[in-house]
Amino acid sequence: MKDILQLARAHIVTAIRERVTLFWFLIFPVFLLTVLTLIFGQVNQEPTIHFEISLVNEDIASGTDSFSALVESILVQMSMPQPNAETPLFTLHRALHGGSPSFLEAELTALRRGDRAAILVIPEGFHQDILASFAGGGAGLALRLYMSEASITSETAASILEQTLAGINREILVRGGMYDDTESIEAETVWVGQAEDQELPYIDFVLPAIVLMGFFTNGLFGVTGTILFNRDRKVLQRYWVTPVNVPRYLAGFALGHLALCALQFGLLFSLGKFVFGATIGFGDPLTLFLLLLSAVTFMAFGFFISAVSKTANAGMAIANILNMPMMFLSGMFFPIAGLPAFMLAIVYANPVSYLLEGLRRSVGVQAGTLMPAQLTILVPLGWILVSAVVASRKLRWDVER
Amino acid sequence: MTYALQVKDLVKRYGDVHAVDGISFDVPTASVFTILGPNGAGKTTTLEMLEGIREPDAGEITMLGKRMLKVSRAAKQHMGVLLQDGGFEPHLKVREILQLFSSFFDRALPVSDILHLVALEEKAAARVKTLSGGQKQRMAIGAALVNDPDLVFFDEPTTGLDPQARRNIWDILSELKSRGKTILLTTHYMEEAEALSDVVCIMDQGKIIAQGSPRELAAGLGEETLIEFRLDDVDAQTLQPLESCCKRIRIDASQVLIETLDLRETMSQLLDWAEKTSKDFHDLRVRQPNLEDVFLSLTGRTLRE
Repeated sequence: MKDILQLARAHIVTAIRERVTLFWFLIFPVFLLTVLTLIFGQVNQEPTIHFEISLVNEDIASGTDSFSALVESILVQMSMPQPNAETPLFTLHRALHGGSPSFLEAELTALRRGDRAAILVIPEGFHQDILASFAGGGAGLALRLYMSEASITSETAASILEQTLAGINREILVRGGMYDDTESIEAETVWVGQAEDQELPYIDFVLPAIVLMGFFTNGLFGVTGTILFNRDRKVLQRYWVTPVNVPRYLAGFALGHLALCALQFGLLFSLGKFVFGATIGFGDPLTLFLLLLSAVTFMAFGFFISAVSKTANAGMAIANILNMPMMFLSGMFFPIAGLPAFMLAIVYANPVSYLLEGLRRSVGVQAGTLMPAQLTILVPLGWILVSAVVASRKLRWDVER
Repeated sequence: MTYALQVKDLVKRYGDVHAVDGISFDVPTASVFTILGPNGAGKTTTLEMLEGIREPDAGEITMLGKRMLKVSRAAKQHMGVLLQDGGFEPHLKVREILQLFSSFFDRALPVSDILHLVALEEKAAARVKTLSGGQKQRMAIGAALVNDPDLVFFDEPTTGLDPQARRNIWDILSELKSRGKTILLTTHYMEEAEALSDVVCIMDQGKIIAQGSPRELAAGLGEETLIEFRLDDVDAQTLQPLESCCKRIRIDASQVLIETLDLRETMSQLLDWAEKTSKDFHDLRVRQPNLEDVFLSLTGRTLRE
């Protein structure tokens, strides 16, 4: 065991003493987290241009010429492609015959999962309430708006819906022949998911992504570089002439690598929590498991690249080529829902997407496009398996002759 | 006589190339056994098989009394290996490297003892990347000796070092020999083999072409004495008048080597010839045959070719 611990120690000490490694392992993620938080910390809205919105009309009984039907038709109109116009702001999901409780339940599930930005409900009796308000009575004109605090896009969609309601309001007043002394329609907001009346700070959105990015670069560049440069410089060959064998070396290497990831995570989490006021926690067992799974997946990915590379320089070139697409096509820094199909194919093959999705979900920060929960664990496990098989068959531990 | 290592019919092929072609030898316990040969002779491949880096295609190895087809992990507990060009983590310190290698073995000497043996006490806290070539090589020797091995492999330990650093390495090897360690050394430096070896085994093109003590091998060439000098614009025709008074004349560029059984007669005629032809000798030297001459005699080539 002492050999494994000493190998782990050597790996850690080397990484910390090497300036380039230190920069990419620790300084760069901290720098990126700081810059992103400072720049986007005040902006809680993503620049999303298309939403998925649900409409549940519980007042279907009031007929097709009711105010309820008017609200529905205006929203339907807005969701239609307009001639010579850009893509509509939202896609409207609705039941053909109003909305049954089961439809609303299904849509609420979709909202919680992040598949809907908001749900607007026209309550039963809405038409009658408007008529009553024209007559000077009634109990108030309230639509119900369900929003998910866990999704940043939800707030943007709600804001647009409120503007739309203001327009509908004017339309109703005109139809009623009244211009004042009448109640306006208000949207009664119902929060779904997170604690109510609490905005999601940007740091909470970006912190899991930066943690994962750190693990990713550790795996992609740290593992690949260490293995291949040590092989090319014949450092490994020096080990093989001693009783140390490949499994023991790997155990020491993995231990050191995971310790470095833990160190990196501790630093980023401390910075996020104590400097930028992150509210999310990582103490949940599932979250801790996903962090470990992420570190191991990316470490395995480093072994995969090492296995298919003849030299250290070739390995680093492959890592560089994969780095940007894998990071950016994972939803780390922007939503991936609106990407073209060919890019989505990369997203769905990318283990980073799944790990990020799982991690954000486990800390209560959902991303725009979601995968089934079990895939956030199964796909990375699949990558670990593939990498392990390829590495065990292809990885050379000494210089080719 | 006991043997720390016995090798029988060892073979290693790379495609059609027979890097090691069925060699056999015995290394007596507590001796320095040197494999001498030019680059590409198969020395390093032989050592790599004995060190467990490569598996032999055929042959048998008996190491410290145990027969094996390939070197086992248990055997490595008693071996020390200095690779020809193995590297170290450049950011680790000398002491950390020795501690790391000590952790690989069941039994290890105190790091301070190793630092003393390789004279690196003052550099214990220095990072590997700051060491000179000689210091790095001494540290590598230290790493090879952390387990106080019975059998030590040194693969060209002084290649690329300056004369002082080379002498320091020789001192360490002599110290190990005095402690009763068995050393298997490879080198292409003739003087190194002569200075350190009890037994020299000369390899060329994957085969052993001669074996014995340096004195025995040199004696095998006969009783001749060698006269060596440098001469400008020299060729076989120029020196033809001297052929009658010597056994053989070799010319390598401006370097001339005359083998003779009658030194006085040959020297006398050589000086007369120089007087008559007004030739000027440079670096005139009279010496006995050495291992370089043995190799030259056996292969027609020098060790450095």
